[in-house]
Amino acid sequence: MDDAGPSARRGGNSIPVDDATGAYGASGFVDSLDGLGTEEVASDVVLLRRVWQNEKCAPEILPYDASLVERVREQVQLMEENIEAFATEIKDDLMLSLYRMDVNRTLFLLRSYLRARLSKIERHPIHIIDNQELWDRLSEQEQEYTNKYCEVLAKHFEQTVLIRLPEQYGSMLKQTSLASEENDMITQPQLNTFVCCRSRGAIGSFQLDDKGDESVDLMTNDLYILRYKPIRRLLETDQIELI
Amino acid sequence: MAMFGKKGAELVREAKQTLATTDQFRPFNKDLFEQVVKETEEHYGHLQERMSQIRVNDSTEGGDPNFVGGCAQHRSVLRNKRCLLAYVNARMSKIKHLRWDLGAVLPDDITGNLSATERTFFQGYSDALSSYMAEINLDLTVDSTPPKDPYVQIRVIGNLGEVLLDDQETSLLPHSIHFMTRTEAEPLVMQGLLEIYQG
Repeated sequence: MDDAGPSARRGGNSIPVDDATGAYGASGFVDSLDGLGTEEVASDVVLLRRVWQNEKCAPEILPYDASLVERVREQVQLMEENIEAFATEIKDDLMLSLYRMDVNRTLFLLRSYLRARLSKIERHPIHIIDNQELWDRLSEQEQEYTNKYCEVLAKHFEQTVLIRLPEQYGSMLKQTSLASEENDMITQPQLNTFVCCRSRGAIGSFQLDDKGDESVDLMTNDLYILRYKPIRRLLETDQIELI
Repeated sequence: MAMFGKKGAELVREAKQTLATTDQFRPFNKDLFEQVVKETEEHYGHLQERMSQIRVNDSTEGGDPNFVGGCAQHRSVLRNKRCLLAYVNARMSKIKHLRWDLGAVLPDDITGNLSATERTFFQGYSDALSSYMAEINLDLTVDSTPPKDPYVQIRVIGNLGEVLLDDQETSLLPHSIHFMTRTEAEPLVMQGLLEIYQG
């Protein structure tokens, strides 16, 4: 992380002003919480920020980063305890409010990350349940939520509309049992949509279609607007990030 | 019978208006909804009539008119189904927002505008979300905007009396203005007891 350097150094004795530097600035604050073993907070917060950003930008649901969330939550708790101790020992309101701001920002990232995932689940619940690969990307709690959500969803559609229709038309998954053999009413995310992404390393020439007619040279730290589908494997292996 | 699909289109327009209205929650348009359901039944009746008249091995020129007519009726049923579901779906997404914006208990003026099944849906959705948030032990409905400042200035609207804030007892008298942490203020703002005060 080359660009983390200056703002992280600056963070120790000044206030990062805009949101973009928030996560990097965090490392600065943490450094000044002397010897509290919070060295790795910074890197995890930066990681969370990337995971969150990817989740927000990708059209489909991405694998849940359970261990990262776990670590961040432990660290937030640790920091909250430290702040409490700090508040009773030293009455420095400015420093205190800076520490609080830092914790609040991390919590915001975490909440926003989980919210973004819920909203994707709610958009395509049945598609996710039907697709083993997507289903495995959810956390245990999210799986439970998806099941419950589907249940109330189906019940509501059933009782409001479907029960009133002629029998052959009363399915939530098929338009009609007369003609459709497959479930043709399940919405799916549009994977061919365009996304903005940044290459995290020099990947070199990358093919955007099966035929090899279209390819792009991916250079380190360059920005691209590409279709999501061909590059989703690069996202999985963390070679690019979405912005 | 009225023009095919006209009522359905009206219902979709109603759905669009439901989504566009932000200051209140439009009541469930039962009249229009019932009309579309009724129309769908009529279409289906005609469809069955046509189907029964289709003769196999009919060699009339230009195909069997019963078949063509039946297709039109069939498509109309499908279209109406789409319209009905779209209307219910649009309202459903509004109802989900209510859970995030107003919490688990809705004020009476909104509840009155929901249909009975919609109230059941809200309850079910609210329970699912609450138990998810309890499982992960994190309230996701607060903190919806990136925090600029850990403290906010608020004005008291409701009568709160003595409240424990940040482990200190504070007296929140109506119309008084205070500084408090955002996380403590947000639930109270959601309940309508406080408002964010921009001086």
